[in-house]
Amino acid sequence: MHTLRGRALFFVPALALLAVFVVYPVVNTVWLSFFTSEGKFALLGNYAEVLSQPEMFDSRGFARGFPYGALVHNVMWIVIHLPLTAGLGLALAVILREIRGGAIVKSIIFLGMVTPMVVGGVILRFLFDGNVGILPSLLSLVGLPRRTLTAYPDTALFSLIIGSLWLWTPFSMILYSAGLETIPDYVYEAAVIDGASAIRAFFAITVPMLRPVTGVVITMTFLWVLKIFDIVYVATMGGPGGASNVLALQMYMYAFREFNANSAAVVATLLMLVALAVSIPTFRSVRGEQQ
Amino acid sequence: MRRKVMVLLLIVLALFSLTGLAAEKKLTVISGWSGQEMDAFMPVLREFEKETGIRVDYQIYRAEDLAVLLPAQFDSKTAPADVIFMWAWFVNKQAQSGHVLEMTGLLNESDFVPGILDAVKSGGKLWGGPYTGKIKPGFWYRKSFFKQHGLAVPTTWDEFVDLCARIKKIPGVRAPIASGNGVGWPLSDVAEHFIATFGGPAMTHDLIAGKMSWTDAQVRAIFESRLVPLLKAGYFSEPIEWTMAADLWWAGDYALYFMGSWITGMVKDPTDLGVFTLPGARGLVFATDYAFVPAYTKYPAEARKLLAFLATRGQTLQVAAGGHIATYTGAPLDAYPPVDREIAALLKGVEALPDLDDTIGGEWQPAFWDQLKLLWVSPARVGEVLETLQRKAGK
Repeated sequence: MHTLRGRALFFVPALALLAVFVVYPVVNTVWLSFFTSEGKFALLGNYAEVLSQPEMFDSRGFARGFPYGALVHNVMWIVIHLPLTAGLGLALAVILREIRGGAIVKSIIFLGMVTPMVVGGVILRFLFDGNVGILPSLLSLVGLPRRTLTAYPDTALFSLIIGSLWLWTPFSMILYSAGLETIPDYVYEAAVIDGASAIRAFFAITVPMLRPVTGVVITMTFLWVLKIFDIVYVATMGGPGGASNVLALQMYMYAFREFNANSAAVVATLLMLVALAVSIPTFRSVRGEQQ
Repeated sequence: MRRKVMVLLLIVLALFSLTGLAAEKKLTVISGWSGQEMDAFMPVLREFEKETGIRVDYQIYRAEDLAVLLPAQFDSKTAPADVIFMWAWFVNKQAQSGHVLEMTGLLNESDFVPGILDAVKSGGKLWGGPYTGKIKPGFWYRKSFFKQHGLAVPTTWDEFVDLCARIKKIPGVRAPIASGNGVGWPLSDVAEHFIATFGGPAMTHDLIAGKMSWTDAQVRAIFESRLVPLLKAGYFSEPIEWTMAADLWWAGDYALYFMGSWITGMVKDPTDLGVFTLPGARGLVFATDYAFVPAYTKYPAEARKLLAFLATRGQTLQVAAGGHIATYTGAPLDAYPPVDREIAALLKGVEALPDLDDTIGGEWQPAFWDQLKLLWVSPARVGEVLETLQRKAGK
């Protein structure tokens, strides 16, 4: 018992730090979300108010086009970005494992991951610029009008989603590369003896055996996309006309433009709930499989 | 013996640190000026140091970043600097919360352009000081370009539209007017100029005060019958990062560029610059830079002294560097470079107007910028843009 108490003492500093810097801000944020800016208890009134704003959800978008509101834009980020990142990362990991000099190519691709997101946002802005950007130049070669893709409501969000792939795909590529190393060679050798083609081996061996890695990739990418802010802030500031606005940027606008901490807390709480709803089951399933 | 030496050493060190602290009375100034603008501002601070013996450090922060940083710092009773250049609406808002040092009595109001102190006044008290301002006079052009293509400055709206049509036909010109972008303020300057020209100064004042709706028929008419037709005709370029737009305009990709008076310090040959307002303009935006002293400065007396210096003699020094127009009437005309004297002359006969988006500020300001970016590429959505602006203004 004495030893246990002695050991527990070592946890105290870490727990104290967590309590001050994680638990208290989280609890206070949730608490704030139930109060109006005048300090009156509003229960879910703030949530109804925030969610009814066109900045969050704009049903007119379905008839007119962008913007659809930050909520829908975040869903679009997840639906487009997540499978592309996971798929590209897996494909790159498998291909580069087989080819000579793959490690060098991987290192070059990994540069995207170590680039600060703010710098990435600036690069994206110029990448899609109609005057100096590479992509509009390439598109003009196939007869499409040369225009700044981030300046138009119908292309701004998609440009950011596609452009950000090079910033995050290296993460999934590295995880999958590490996962591939854990699959024993004899499994593939047995498959070859049984007459399995490379594609069959990929779907019957590689993909199932990388399931725990896929779980981590999906969860981490989901969380990254959910809190996406810096790229959007720098490249488009959520525009034009809110066409590339996202939840984290809207939270920033509430907090630092309106100075409305309560509305910002509502968005923060919603983000936290979604993050928990996705990450807890994923980590549980991964842990279950490992056990 | 060793102990005595140690004690003596500690006493000497303590004395040194105390005298060091006493001598180290250093002020910090924050503004958004960097590069050439900072180079032009630094001699002003050096002159203050020379006159008073008080050291001044300079730090660069954009107003957009300060809007995020300052409220949190003020709430914890600290300030990153002793004198901070910031939007007037922000100064007033922070003053209401007790975060700004009162400056009433520091400046003689009759020494400044009439009304210029009003922006940093609330509750009958003065909360900041004006520095120089920049006029946003209209469309800049290169005289050599106009001469080469036989173009003339328009004197009526029809001539202006005709000028755009003629420029559009010139080979190699991408669009008649370059549209500056970035955070979004260059487009708001264009829109404000249209409002001041066709709605008159009263409309600008009424929109700022919230007395007039953005969906009012008169406002709608300015957008729908003046600005939108030009956008639909392709007379404005799509929004381009504003410094890049300046380079492209100077290189002849565009013929006209709506920008503030600071452009005179950005081009290679200011003598080749010409500028004209929209025909019939009755008001010009005179955007003043304001500075304030946070309540949490360690040196309130010295900070006040610096603010007073900047608002008066500092302005005279600043205008000599070009690109700035003094709000301090004591700045002599011969202190200006010739090109700025011409700009200052543009204000004659028209009303100097406050910068609309800087004055309203808050959440509305970035919404204005963002909605104009939408209007520029989707002019048909003008109704939606104005409705959004009104919704944000009503908040």
